[in-house]
Amino acid sequence: MTEIALTELPAFVETASIALQNNGSAAMGPEAAQNMADGYGAAAAGIAVGLAALAAGYAERGIGAAAVGAIAEDDDMFVPGLIMTVLPETLVILALVVVFILG
Amino acid sequence: MSAGASNPEYVNARVRSRRASLFSDEDYRKLIRMGPSEIARFMEETEYEREINELGARFSGVDLIEYALNRNLAKHFEDLIDWADGRLYDLIARYLRKFDVWNLKTIIRGIYTDTAPDDIRTDLIRAGELEERTIDRLLETDDIEDAIEVLYGTIYYEPLTVAYEEFEETGALVPLENALDREFYENLLADVSGGPGNEPQEGPEAKYIEFLQAEIDFRNARNALRLARSGADLDPATYYIDGGVLFDESELSRLVGDYDALVDHIAENRRYGDRLSEALGRLREADSLIQFEHALDAALLEYADTLSSIYPASVSAVLSYILAKEREVENIRAIARGREVGLDENEIEEELVIL
Repeated sequence: MTEIALTELPAFVETASIALQNNGSAAMGPEAAQNMADGYGAAAAGIAVGLAALAAGYAERGIGAAAVGAIAEDDDMFVPGLIMTVLPETLVILALVVVFILG
Repeated sequence: MSAGASNPEYVNARVRSRRASLFSDEDYRKLIRMGPSEIARFMEETEYEREINELGARFSGVDLIEYALNRNLAKHFEDLIDWADGRLYDLIARYLRKFDVWNLKTIIRGIYTDTAPDDIRTDLIRAGELEERTIDRLLETDDIEDAIEVLYGTIYYEPLTVAYEEFEETGALVPLENALDREFYENLLADVSGGPGNEPQEGPEAKYIEFLQAEIDFRNARNALRLARSGADLDPATYYIDGGVLFDESELSRLVGDYDALVDHIAENRRYGDRLSEALGRLREADSLIQFEHALDAALLEYADTLSSIYPASVSAVLSYILAKEREVENIRAIARGREVGLDENEIEEELVIL
């Protein structure tokens, strides 16, 4: 899901700025247009991170359930279970990169 | 993702862990050389520890082993039913109702022979879906009709009421027991399969259905072979279970009369022919039927094992565990009983189903 969000982002920002150039130039000055573009960028980054977090959460649902099952049978599984459960969090960390690219 | 969604991940993780604690070939080799009390002591050091300790004061020898096995089996299968939710529960309970049927039969037989409730209780395997309370109420009844009334609202009520009339006429328990078996097997495939030719084609449920059909087919084949062997003058249609792919009702009635044709029919079947070819070969040489039945059991077990590796997070792995556990219990029982009556090691080994 991060990938889709990442590849679509430039296009999204581009259409936003084209729209601003066509309609916005008469109504608002260049500074206002820049602010608006920044706003879109921030929103895009937010969506990217949000979707990635959602996907990670969904992935962790199954792994977490299995991990709890394994721990219930054998206490030694606690550490491996914990590690496996948080592995999908890497998705969210990668998605955070988008924030810095756009910021 | 509602509360009622099925949770195969959780159940699978637990089941796989428990599967790892089943006895290995090595353990069986050790067990075969032991006497009943040694087996009990061996079991005390394994996962049967609690059951052996609980029952050790009341029973001894082979009885102790047997009751401990049953209780352990019930504990594990009850757990499965507790853990599973939603669809997964439905699929597991469907198969475990076999123990409900077993319990009901035991209770009915107990009532029939005026056995004390406590004695009946020790023979029950409480692994099915029926609630503890219902079973306790069943044990308190003194006549079969009352027992059937207690079951009002369960799937067994109707078939039993119908069969009861026949029971009243003949005084034999057979119609009641057949009604229970039939109800169980007919319910196995209800709702999952859309009828012949309309089953789901792929995915874990398709495999699950395939497995259940195999179970039904093997049951039919077993009954047919026994009838054909014994030459008993019984109507095969009463024992026929619908839903399999190996026989239809008329085929079965025709084949029971002709033993060789029956064996050929099984061998020609595309689904099972190859898998059973070796056992069928032995059966043709007029060897024992028991060997063939063990081959059927082994084929089922192998089948379930394959399933569990095709679809790891589904009902298949659970099913494969259920079968493996049942097999273990039966194997240990066979060893204990075999040692008790003084069979030698090779003879016992032939009785075991080990993959």
